[in-house]
Amino acid sequence: MIRGIRVIPLSIALAIFLLPFAVPSPYMIAVLCFIAIYGALALGKAFLLEQAGVFSLGHPVWFVVGAYMTGIAAVWGAPPLLAVLIAAAVVGILAYLIGAPLLRLKGIYLICATFCLIIILEITIVNMGSITGGYNGLMNVPPLTIGGFIIKGDVSFYLISWALCLGMLWFFNNLLDSREGRALRASRDSEVAAMSMGVNIPQYKLKIFVITAVMASLTGSVFCFWVRYMTVEFGGFPLLVELITMIVIGGGRTLYGPLLGAFVVIWLREFIHTYIAKLLPQMTAEVDALFFGVIIVLILVFMPGGLTGWVEQCRDWVEQCRDKVKRAYSGRRVHERLPR
Amino acid sequence: MSLLSQILQYAIFGITGGSIYAVIGICWSLVYLITKILNFTTGEFIMLGGMFTWGLSALGMGLFPASVIAVAGTMVVAIVMERIAIRPVRHPSEMTYMMLTIALASIIEGVALLIWGAEPRKISPIFKTEVLHLGGATIAPQVLCIIAFMVTVTFGLSWFFNYTLYGKALRASALNSAGAKLVGIDIGKFRLFCFGLTGGLGAITGIVIAPITYTGYDMGLLDGLKGLMVAIVGGWTITGTVMAGLALGLLEGFCAGFISSGFKDVFPLLVMVIYLILSTYRFSWEGRKA
Repeated sequence: MIRGIRVIPLSIALAIFLLPFAVPSPYMIAVLCFIAIYGALALGKAFLLEQAGVFSLGHPVWFVVGAYMTGIAAVWGAPPLLAVLIAAAVVGILAYLIGAPLLRLKGIYLICATFCLIIILEITIVNMGSITGGYNGLMNVPPLTIGGFIIKGDVSFYLISWALCLGMLWFFNNLLDSREGRALRASRDSEVAAMSMGVNIPQYKLKIFVITAVMASLTGSVFCFWVRYMTVEFGGFPLLVELITMIVIGGGRTLYGPLLGAFVVIWLREFIHTYIAKLLPQMTAEVDALFFGVIIVLILVFMPGGLTGWVEQCRDWVEQCRDKVKRAYSGRRVHERLPR
Repeated sequence: MSLLSQILQYAIFGITGGSIYAVIGICWSLVYLITKILNFTTGEFIMLGGMFTWGLSALGMGLFPASVIAVAGTMVVAIVMERIAIRPVRHPSEMTYMMLTIALASIIEGVALLIWGAEPRKISPIFKTEVLHLGGATIAPQVLCIIAFMVTVTFGLSWFFNYTLYGKALRASALNSAGAKLVGIDIGKFRLFCFGLTGGLGAITGIVIAPITYTGYDMGLLDGLKGLMVAIVGGWTITGTVMAGLALGLLEGFCAGFISSGFKDVFPLLVMVIYLILSTYRFSWEGRKA
């Protein structure tokens, strides 16, 4: 084995990238594409919430601003790649300017303020109809072109979105072991202890806030070019509930948990749309949110660690069983250890 | 209309809205202080009150019996919610509770949408008299009902918390729940009581405001959020919440009148967020805090 290369993650990534050529089902590819986009969003949000300890609900804001900026820049005639960069830059600057004062708030106060941001953005976009298209949404987004080639079709966007998603996973994984990551983990466990070791907590939190915002904006750009249409209904409260569902189902303690959650939630949504929509004719995003709400409550009550927490419990249980078996077969050493 | 009567008119709008936000803010702080839960379903109780009443009057029931059943129904929803969803959570933290109540809010919203549909509904006002005129401005009688309701709630709760045994016990459990348990106060019962009270107050608010603002499945989120901001800015106290609520309402009224009615929700929320941020700084004129 070559040193420094992890075989299992690499082979999973390779399998994901080869999947569309092995399974030519357009429906499944499109759903998996959605999973990558939402998974990338949930990943960033879970990192912010669980690893960095910044209780910000503002993720839908950066997603929506990124998608709208990309769309508007492209509609006004900017080359698509430049539009993506413009959106990322605008979101980055905006996140820095808003985050610097906002992150002074702690706990529930930060939650409320970021919740307000979601509502404020929604109303602002609806009321700026001349630029954003108001309630009808931003129409006629031009297709993504790179160097004269028009990129369209679900397979190419599948590759782009999974590249983005896995890239983010890799980035966050490395970030956790870097200087910033260690500082953040220390500050999550005990802010006072970290500060007394000389960690500049506000600065690191702001840094991570801006980084996740820019990532959400990139996801928004990909989403906008794929759907080629953007409305506020893709963001806002329903998106927030979906992201929370993904994190709760997957379990936010691990990095891959939210991805797992996105996988479950999106397939569940497809299932709801195909089977339950026949029973209930008025299916909209809010009714989806009803089912997700039920799932969140059930999981928080019965399985607080989420799927990954459950897997870890199983692993612990297996290890305990193995220890018991070992002890049963080596009775002497156990007797020696007993009087402690 | 002269400028003065215009200002008066917007102030009346503002005070109406402000009274509503004050009551909602009091609902938030009731639950938050006793249970340390940010109950995001507070706004949905208002929606439920209005929608229950509309649904029952559409079935041919009178306004009064319909509203009594609506209030009772909302209280039952609130209590059942606390019992089957919030209490059994293991390892609770503020974040878990927040996710839980956001989920519950989206459940209530979805069910209301399925049962009653997406159109905004209107229920008839309590007094069907003509509008009153005051210095060139008009006042609907319902506005007086709303203000009277807010004043009753404020003074009633203040009396309850300061002069009755149960109110004092509630305040004790808000200050220190472990200590309250030690002197024999049943916190679990008080949690139920707080949720029930919040549900009832929210439902009455919904019934009182529905003739003016209309009621729809999606009204709970925005009104609830404004109530939360008011409660936070008011420092979780009744007096502070009422002051902050009236300030928010007046800001909203004047913003709708003089700036733009489309942005009337944005501007006050922005002011509240900025106030929250400013309150984290310590200014030189405040002196040293202990």
